[in-house]
Amino acid sequence: MSKIVTLAAWALIALCLVALITLPVNLQTQLIASVLVVTFMALIKLMKAGGKWRLIALAFGSAMVLRYIYWRTTETLPPFNQPENFIPGFLLYLAELYNVMMLALSLFVVAMPLPSRPSRAATPGKYPKVDVFVPSYNEDIGLLANTLAAAKGMDYPAEKLTVWLLDDGGTLQKRNSTNLIEAQRAAQRHRDLQKLCSDLNVRYLTRERNEHAKAGNLNNGMQHSNGDLIAVFDADHAPARDFLLETVGYFEDDPRLFLVQTPHFFLNPDPLERNLRTFEKMPSENEMFYGIIQRGLDKWNAAFFCGSAAVLRRKALEDTGGFSGLSITEDCETALALHSRGWKSVYVDRPLIAGLQPATFASFIGQRSRWAQGMMQILMFRMPLFKGGLSIPQRLCYMSSTLFWLFPFSRTIFLFAPLFYLFFDLQIFTASGGEFLAYTLVYMLVNLTMQNYLYGSFRWPWISELYEYAQTVHLLPAVVSVLANPRKPTFKVTAKDESVRESRLSEISRPFFVIFAVLFAAVLITVYRVYSEPDKADVTLVVGGWNLLNLILAGCALGVVSERGERAASRRVKVSRRCEFAVGEEWYPATVEDVSAHGARVQVYGLPGDGLAIDTRARIRFEPYSGDGTPETLPLTIRNVEVSGDLTIIGCRYTPEAARHHSLVADLIFANSEQWSEFQHMRRYNPGLLRGTLWFLWLAFYQTSRGLTYFFRSMAADREARATR
Amino acid sequence: MTRALAFLIALLVCGSLAAQPAPFDMSGERPAEEPAPPQRPEAAEPDAGNAGRPAATAPEPDRSDEAFRRYIIPFRSLSLTGETDRRTWSVYLTPGQAAGARALTFSYQNAIVVAPETSLLSVFVNGTLIGEGPVQAADAPQMRSYALPAGLLRTGSNEIRFQVRQRHRTDCTIESTYELWTEIASDSAFISFGNGAARALTALEDIQAVGQDGAGRTRFNIVAPALEQPSRTAALMRLAEGLALFGHMPTQTVLFRQDLPAAGEPGELMVLAGTASELAPVLRSLPPEASTTPVAAFVREGADRAPLLVVSGPDWPGVEQAIEMIAKATDRPVGVARDVINTERWRLPETPQVLSGKRLSFSELGVETSEFSGRRFRTAFAVAIPSDFYADAYGEARVLLDAAYTDVVRPGSRIDIYVNGSIATTVPFDSARGGIMRHLPINVTLRHFRPGPNLIELEAVLLTESDRACAPGSAASPEPRFALFDSSEFEMPDFARIARRPDLAATAGSAYPYGGGRPIALYLDRTDADTLSAAATFVARLAVSGGRPIPIETLTSPLAAANRNTLFVGAIPQLPKALLTQAGIDTDSQLSWGNAAAGVPGRRTQMAFNEWQTRLKGGGGVLLSVEQWIKDRFDISLSSLQLIPSEEAPFAPPDTATLLVAQAADPTANAAWTVVTAPSPELLREGVSAIADVSKWGQLAGHISIYEPANDKVTAIAAKRLDFVPTTPPSFWNYRLIAANWLSTNILYYAVLLVSLATLLGLATAILLGKLGRRS
Repeated sequence: MSKIVTLAAWALIALCLVALITLPVNLQTQLIASVLVVTFMALIKLMKAGGKWRLIALAFGSAMVLRYIYWRTTETLPPFNQPENFIPGFLLYLAELYNVMMLALSLFVVAMPLPSRPSRAATPGKYPKVDVFVPSYNEDIGLLANTLAAAKGMDYPAEKLTVWLLDDGGTLQKRNSTNLIEAQRAAQRHRDLQKLCSDLNVRYLTRERNEHAKAGNLNNGMQHSNGDLIAVFDADHAPARDFLLETVGYFEDDPRLFLVQTPHFFLNPDPLERNLRTFEKMPSENEMFYGIIQRGLDKWNAAFFCGSAAVLRRKALEDTGGFSGLSITEDCETALALHSRGWKSVYVDRPLIAGLQPATFASFIGQRSRWAQGMMQILMFRMPLFKGGLSIPQRLCYMSSTLFWLFPFSRTIFLFAPLFYLFFDLQIFTASGGEFLAYTLVYMLVNLTMQNYLYGSFRWPWISELYEYAQTVHLLPAVVSVLANPRKPTFKVTAKDESVRESRLSEISRPFFVIFAVLFAAVLITVYRVYSEPDKADVTLVVGGWNLLNLILAGCALGVVSERGERAASRRVKVSRRCEFAVGEEWYPATVEDVSAHGARVQVYGLPGDGLAIDTRARIRFEPYSGDGTPETLPLTIRNVEVSGDLTIIGCRYTPEAARHHSLVADLIFANSEQWSEFQHMRRYNPGLLRGTLWFLWLAFYQTSRGLTYFFRSMAADREARATR
Repeated sequence: MTRALAFLIALLVCGSLAAQPAPFDMSGERPAEEPAPPQRPEAAEPDAGNAGRPAATAPEPDRSDEAFRRYIIPFRSLSLTGETDRRTWSVYLTPGQAAGARALTFSYQNAIVVAPETSLLSVFVNGTLIGEGPVQAADAPQMRSYALPAGLLRTGSNEIRFQVRQRHRTDCTIESTYELWTEIASDSAFISFGNGAARALTALEDIQAVGQDGAGRTRFNIVAPALEQPSRTAALMRLAEGLALFGHMPTQTVLFRQDLPAAGEPGELMVLAGTASELAPVLRSLPPEASTTPVAAFVREGADRAPLLVVSGPDWPGVEQAIEMIAKATDRPVGVARDVINTERWRLPETPQVLSGKRLSFSELGVETSEFSGRRFRTAFAVAIPSDFYADAYGEARVLLDAAYTDVVRPGSRIDIYVNGSIATTVPFDSARGGIMRHLPINVTLRHFRPGPNLIELEAVLLTESDRACAPGSAASPEPRFALFDSSEFEMPDFARIARRPDLAATAGSAYPYGGGRPIALYLDRTDADTLSAAATFVARLAVSGGRPIPIETLTSPLAAANRNTLFVGAIPQLPKALLTQAGIDTDSQLSWGNAAAGVPGRRTQMAFNEWQTRLKGGGGVLLSVEQWIKDRFDISLSSLQLIPSEEAPFAPPDTATLLVAQAADPTANAAWTVVTAPSPELLREGVSAIADVSKWGQLAGHISIYEPANDKVTAIAAKRLDFVPTTPPSFWNYRLIAANWLSTNILYYAVLLVSLATLLGLATAILLGKLGRRS
């Protein structure tokens, strides 16, 4: 009852505010109101006030955004009878409406995110039986060994835990492929993995045919197992030891709970972070999703399954016939189906797995294309807004998650809109300089402030725009194709174990340079027109400024597509762990500096490094977290040696001989989840709007020059290659 | 011989005229497809055959019918300026005048820079070109006379249009177009007649043919032997209203007197009002039936047999009935808003009134499709709005422009729109490649709109490469550069409607709140001829604005005025102090106004102080210059940021002013009081007759307006506090627009309201979110 009264009172106040906002007051009034509101927002932000103040600041911002939209709708659309202006003008208007709608949805989702839940450890003695599924398609065996070993190493009663390798790369269909090489490879893989599994005491399971991709594979796993709960880890997502203890407890509390999702934490940077070198200092892209949005979704019981690092209830899955596989994002689709059947989900805001993400820009785009296409499929096939059984907040949450992937359209329109004026002299946005100041500029300022307010320490200013732009170029065709042909896209596994050995341009970088050139030409046109048409200089400057902003983003993206080379074959993770090192019989004190899936770098004290030959066999000895405190030994081969004074830095490769060695490698790499949280928290701080913007400008400038340098170098290389030919 | 004399006189008269711009400016390029002129003028030679009678008889005091002429220009003088200009209005002719009209004569003079070979002055009557010729009277006024073909003129309204196309002799700049003018002296422009019936006025409708004198003014001389009896005031006022509504001329004065003057001048109508017994001594030819029955009829009297209007009856109620015969004929039903405001005697087409959102095409507004080859194209139309219009702060009308321009038009060319002489918007031409604009929307702020007719001027400023070079002879290229199509539209949005008190602009524009058809109260400090004349002129002007006679009840005591819409007319020394205080006038003015020596010392100090303050503001500190910058850039002044309006200080009229009109709410705040006052009854009469001119009348505004004869200017003082008076049934949409305008005037309130409501919403959201969804 009090809920309804509060809702009614809220609606009444909102109605009054909307009535006030939609008054056609004059420009002066708008200007004064803007100044006052922006000042208040800035004050609230400077005082770092939270709680109620945060919502008041958001209400201020929303009011100004609504004023902008009201003005935009009533005053600025080009006349209907000028189609050359009206059509692009209306598209731009739709793009802006889309952005405002997304802002509204995200405001709803993250208005009051649930704080991180306190640890809910499973009650000893009441442990449910858990099946761990590690679906695999084509991943490298070393990677799988680490994941399986880590899964096997989780703290949980052994009799209650079964780890399954669900191998889709070794199915009967693959082994009997008409392509001889493929068939041979599949058979080899089948044998190797069976061997690995038996070594690690893990169940190996494959099936006849590769039907329904990942969802089909998981469903096959379900048919062969019988645990109460199912934990899913991607092949490259290794769980921490406490993963199950921290998650299964929630199932005890609520019999209608179907999902406990945990964040995906990545040990390696994504291509943007790697190429821009922001991994160590700036929060990763997905932290906004896992740090805030999932918590916001959790508030509305709408946290969804992200394909990995989650525990699900078998009974719930059986209720909907297992994992749904209509779309290529089976995870979100499954969660949607279960939410609509009244099942509940919980999000635990603590990284409990560590994984790898795509290393090259091309595979990054491949992954995002799958997400975008899958979400579009869900939008079209499942229509979350009208899906029965969902609560209204859940519908809005799912709409927010799916509609987000339409951003390539709005981004494209924002990219090209200024060119209509600069190149073709079309008036697609009718406003005077003063109006632009009082409405558009205030809108942009308020919008940025709100974003910073909502996501400040998870997403720095302009980074969202950069990610969106970098994806748009290739995502737009993908989204258009799925809209045109919703059933066409098929599940493609994202490659995550690639590496970039040499600095080079990404193979899909060409459009970025073309766009940059066009935008740069538009800047020249701007300068020309400011001088040649002084009467329209104010409009030209405003539009030119907008284009310049696009150019800055496009320039920064040149850096994104210029892949930096790395020496190591796979991503290295800093660990700094004490150990002892031995070549022969003598043990030297040492530290493991960083590790990768294949090897480690060790700093050894007091070892005479001169006499060490490549491929010499060596050992390290350290205390695994999973053991009982006695040090264990891992065999290695030396790959390179660097001597600096008393310290010898040795790069070595694991040479696991027993199953236990895989566990030790996993222990080294995936250490304990506390470290991951610490690393994340170290990066999470809010530089503020101004400092963030300045930093971004600097970054964009640097990356533009880097991108252009790569470009000219590659042109020179091409010329040389042609000449030698 | 006689011809030469007439020419000489014309020369003398015209030569004395100054080049003053007329109050309304209306321009238009002559459509290119117009037929060739039917008649070439014989410059400076009034055609004796057409004029019918030798013009030389005119200046002599001979008042014979044959020498009778109707002056036709309803302004002090007619000034046509710029590269293209036109003026259209109508003249009412009696049947005798319509049949007997022979020629239209006028003399003009133009600026020396007007190139005669490419400049043309045309005269149209009822849409027919009666003559045109080059503009070539740079040195001295030149007379032109055009015959009026039989059957061209009609009984009733006849449209007259003067139109000019002017080009500069040497210059091609935009500035040079402002140097172009042609001026026609009002006392040189007339219609002459060839029959004996022209002068006669017979039916009551013929009052409309009262016309104007050589200065464009109209006067009703009401001879009322018993005017000093206060009981007669109300009926006499009603008579003045009826006459004014019949005449409907732009500048009408009512003059009361007790004796019959010698003879009627042009533009004057002699009216005798009184019982038969009162009039008998003054008038020999009083109709005998006047002693038995009410009479309102024309008689001819005296040697020159000038027409006289006799309004009489056996007793005063009989006279009142006779007055009612005139007043009734001009009445219109209560409660029906006018579609058009009658302005035909000084501006055609008549002005449409918009009461809510409406689109009017340019063709309806009298703007024709035209092509233009010059530099500065100008055209105008008028739109009237009601007295309760309340959208000046937020509103925007739109012009949906259909126009075209060729590729010679350079960027930097623009279209300016002026409202009542103030610039309302500027739109640059976008393209350097020429273009056709189809319903291009141009927003026009409603800021300068006022109740009653508003003049909207559209000006296209066209820059071209050839004008920049300005090769000899290129100034007058006939190649059109710009075209305006009459399919363009003026779009008035729905606007807020609520009346305010005080608001002299509403009173001037449409007689609000006196024009509602219900009797209003009139208080005169005394009933002498001057005060009565002033009151009658004011009331008559109100009646013309309101479009109907206003029923009057006279008050003998100002105390009886409470709760009533009242008009107070009187010299300031006689007006009650309480009334002045209520009206916001400094009571010290009773002694000091118009009496420079008797200045009140305290006020002097205050004035000097204020002067010093403004003087120092010019020098300015940083804060002041910031304020100035904000004001210049965004039109926001610090005073518009006040939350509480400052107190209204009593107003002391300066000595340069001779008339003061003030409006305020009555003490019960239920009605409006308007005070019309001057230092003395004579100044009162003169002042009111000066502001009765349509151009100055339209400048009355705000809480107080004063008239200064030295510069012939009306100055308005805005009201700081306003009462709102609902005029339409309550509706959400109207309230919304009223709120929009109010908040656009009191801009800080909007910001404060927005911030408070947003804060409330934030708090409500916090509470709501605490109750919805999962809780932490």
